[in-house]
Amino acid sequence: MSNAPAEEQTTEIDLTAANQVIDKYLTLPGNLMPVLQGIQDEYGYVPKPTIDLVAERLNVYPSQIYGVLTFYAQFHLKPRGRFIIRVCVGTACHVQGAERIVDTFFDKLHIGHAETTPDLRFTFEKVACLGACGMAPLAMVNDDTFGKMTVQKVEEIIADFSQRPMK
Amino acid sequence: MVNLTIDDKKVTAPKNATIFDAAKSAGIKIPILCHDKKLHPFGGCRMCLVEVEQMKGRLIPACTTPVTEGMTVTTTTPEIIKARKMVLELLLLKHPIDCPVCDAAGDCDLQNLTYEYKVNINKFTDEKFHHQIDYENPLIERDMNRCIHCGKCARICDEIVSFGAYTFINRGIEAKMGTEYDGPLNCEFCGSCVSVCPVGALVSRPFKFKARWWSMTKTKTVCSYCGTGCQLTLGVKDNKVLTTIYDENQGFHNGQLCTRGRFAYQFINSDKRLTTPLIRKNGSLVEASWDEALSVVAEHLREAKAADPDSVAGLVTPRLTNEELFLFGKLFRETIGTENIDHSAGYAHNALTSGAMESLGYAASPSTIADIQKADLLLVVKTDAYETHPVLGFEINLGVKRKDIDLRIVSDKRGKLSKLPKAKTYVHKPGNEIVLLNALAKSIIDANLVDASASNLPGFDGYKQSLEQYAPGKVAEACGMGADEITSLATDYAKAGKALILLPLGLGYVAHGKELAQAVINLALLTGKIGKEGCGVLIMGEKNNSQGAVDMGVYPKAKRNDAATILDSCAAGKVKVLYVAGENPVVSYPNRTKVTAAIDKAEFLVVQDLFLTETAEKAHVVLPACSFAEKDGTFTSVGRVVQRVNKAIKPIGLSRTDLEILSSLIGTLGGATYTSASEVFAEIASKVSGYQGFSYEVLGENGQIVPVTTKAKFVQVEAAPLKEEAGKFAMVTGSALYHCGTLSRYGEGPMHVCPEGYVELSRQDAALLKISENDVVNIKSSLGEIKLKVKVDVRMPQGVVFAPYHFADSSVNTLTDGSKVNWVTISK
Repeated sequence: MSNAPAEEQTTEIDLTAANQVIDKYLTLPGNLMPVLQGIQDEYGYVPKPTIDLVAERLNVYPSQIYGVLTFYAQFHLKPRGRFIIRVCVGTACHVQGAERIVDTFFDKLHIGHAETTPDLRFTFEKVACLGACGMAPLAMVNDDTFGKMTVQKVEEIIADFSQRPMK
Repeated sequence: MVNLTIDDKKVTAPKNATIFDAAKSAGIKIPILCHDKKLHPFGGCRMCLVEVEQMKGRLIPACTTPVTEGMTVTTTTPEIIKARKMVLELLLLKHPIDCPVCDAAGDCDLQNLTYEYKVNINKFTDEKFHHQIDYENPLIERDMNRCIHCGKCARICDEIVSFGAYTFINRGIEAKMGTEYDGPLNCEFCGSCVSVCPVGALVSRPFKFKARWWSMTKTKTVCSYCGTGCQLTLGVKDNKVLTTIYDENQGFHNGQLCTRGRFAYQFINSDKRLTTPLIRKNGSLVEASWDEALSVVAEHLREAKAADPDSVAGLVTPRLTNEELFLFGKLFRETIGTENIDHSAGYAHNALTSGAMESLGYAASPSTIADIQKADLLLVVKTDAYETHPVLGFEINLGVKRKDIDLRIVSDKRGKLSKLPKAKTYVHKPGNEIVLLNALAKSIIDANLVDASASNLPGFDGYKQSLEQYAPGKVAEACGMGADEITSLATDYAKAGKALILLPLGLGYVAHGKELAQAVINLALLTGKIGKEGCGVLIMGEKNNSQGAVDMGVYPKAKRNDAATILDSCAAGKVKVLYVAGENPVVSYPNRTKVTAAIDKAEFLVVQDLFLTETAEKAHVVLPACSFAEKDGTFTSVGRVVQRVNKAIKPIGLSRTDLEILSSLIGTLGGATYTSASEVFAEIASKVSGYQGFSYEVLGENGQIVPVTTKAKFVQVEAAPLKEEAGKFAMVTGSALYHCGTLSRYGEGPMHVCPEGYVELSRQDAALLKISENDVVNIKSSLGEIKLKVKVDVRMPQGVVFAPYHFADSSVNTLTDGSKVNWVTISK
């Protein structure tokens, strides 16, 4: 699941951006959420050293920050891919064979649900409903929507997004 | 007050009470799992559902619903029972039924309620949780499979302990009580969470598989560590103290304990306890009988008394009971005839014996612990009070959080309580407390905030004049603070309606006693803040009976008889027989080299102790004494509370209580003997001022407060700003969190939280010296050199290092000479 504990950080995290985010909201009452969101915007996820920094600077227990981060689905504790692939497994898509689409992505990308490829290009997520049941089965890559998904289209999408620049 | 009816019973309750509180006060039991009287209501477990006539149509949680006038409550109906049964069924759906191996069995709220509501079948089925059990620390085992999500552990850790180790993590069915990163528990290990856990999700590991709850005898007594005087319930089986049992109705602290109270009882049944007397023969200590040992001791005392009574001296620990301390005084003053007796008062307790005595007319605090919650502002001097007296720290914490009390900390370093909302910490240069306090007083005078009562007190004019040189502008730099900071602190203190000053003392804070106490008392007198509720000064003795030792008169009446002088006389050969009861001067007194040399010079050294301490190893005769759990008696704690200590187990091995030992020595030397503690207490009640009218019956369960009559005066306290030694670090000593003296080294709790000595320094200094956490460094003072592990902490200011004094290895007292600040160099 997407909120699994963060793995040991191997690379140093530059805390400058996190400090700037905290500076921005420091005096705002109830600033924890915007600070965490701001940090996630900067880093793509919430790295562990930033949690300790937020705890120290906002005087909030690190455990409580962790509680907040794991409560909301919007926060991520592990680095996320450049492209977030989301496949709907809601009722309509399920009936239309979403599981096969999911399995194909797993096979091709060698990752499971809520996991990221080692090159940080793709993150894959199963989601409950994307709100376009008429196009079931449905997939999204970042903000692009792909309706009437087939196994063939999975390969095309992967090929397409593998070519795109990482920045 | 609000009138309501609960189960046809007319009940009156305060208007902020909940239905649950009102029912409880009327003796009506409402079942509940997520409630503790110390915590805010949570309303999580839904066991306390009741019916309210005026709120028909649904069941109402009693623990979160405030009472209203005319409310009619029914606590048991078939519908309520059905609902409660369902709650239990849902909880039991996930809760493993491993009661036969669960340490909570017998003391488990879920088990008891399941039995009471006869839930023998469950209409639901589901898989149990498969959470990993946290075995990573030796004190608290966390089995989240047993957790019923009452949230009490997270709430007590936040509301009272302010550590915040726990939180709910994840969401929905995956939600569980977790820690930061869902990792192993890594906290201060006070065990508050264990005490409130209604099931066996959090259990004490030292107690694991030791005894069934119902097979233990429970004895109420008083903790033998710091001076707070927390009440304890010891769980005993087969003459072993196996655990401490939580009782939310015990003491001012409502059963709340710190790690030493809860997890450091192991010294009682430690296999390191002395079980037989020892006599030095041919250079080594060999086992001996009591008769032999006592006759050797008596003979030496008799001979020395005949030659010169002042060639005998006694050092006693303030850990003994009042009765024993009283007899110790009697043995030396009356039976032997010497004034050479001390309990390290000169080093550590003259805040009471000289400071308060001179300024107030009695050697005690004018205030009591109850004043903490009644104050508008708390001014904590020297430390944040938490590291020396954790449970008083909890009290301060509660006051600040719940009652909006302002907290001002004046210290040479920051502390845990510095993080509280409304806490302001003024970090000053070490050793300049008195200059700063005088500057505060001067600032109060300059701002015309002096109370009308002050000028009538003796010594006012002289005091006022003596403050001339302490104008904030003049001394601010020396104190390391801004002049405006000093004036604003002074104004806050003076303008607060009720303000209480807290001052910890003890062997960790040598040289800060008398003058410091007088400086704070002056400040309180100046603003008319003594003798009123929620005001005054609370001097917090280090040991469980520090106040008692002073009350029993076990301190020197003159400088020439104090501990330091006694040791000097030992070194000079003037004191030939040294009797040490429970003290461990080798480790705990400043200047270890000098102390050791002095003790080595004693012709005859008797040590009466629980353990073969570093001092006992040097003795000619060692007498095995009993711990507090093997004794009846009384302790007098912070705020002058006299409380009963009750015997929980029989003496270990051949050990005897200090009372028995002292009484038989007095007898052998020709005095009257005593058979019981109550007999001695009766004599105390007749002789010790303030104790008149006390008896064990009068003391009752919660003790009595010794009355005092204040005859206050201003005493001029002069201090020059401390000279700094360039290029050196200012080393301050003190108490490590949750250690107390040298006794806590025999307890599992403190030894897990803090197993060895360390030196704490600031991030900036660590960076400059290229030192990181856990590096071992050489610390050198003019007296000696030791190696210590490094702790890097934001709480330390640059240029100041802190080292706790409790440890025998790399003892920090090798570096100290009893001055306020020791100048040291640090190298890798």
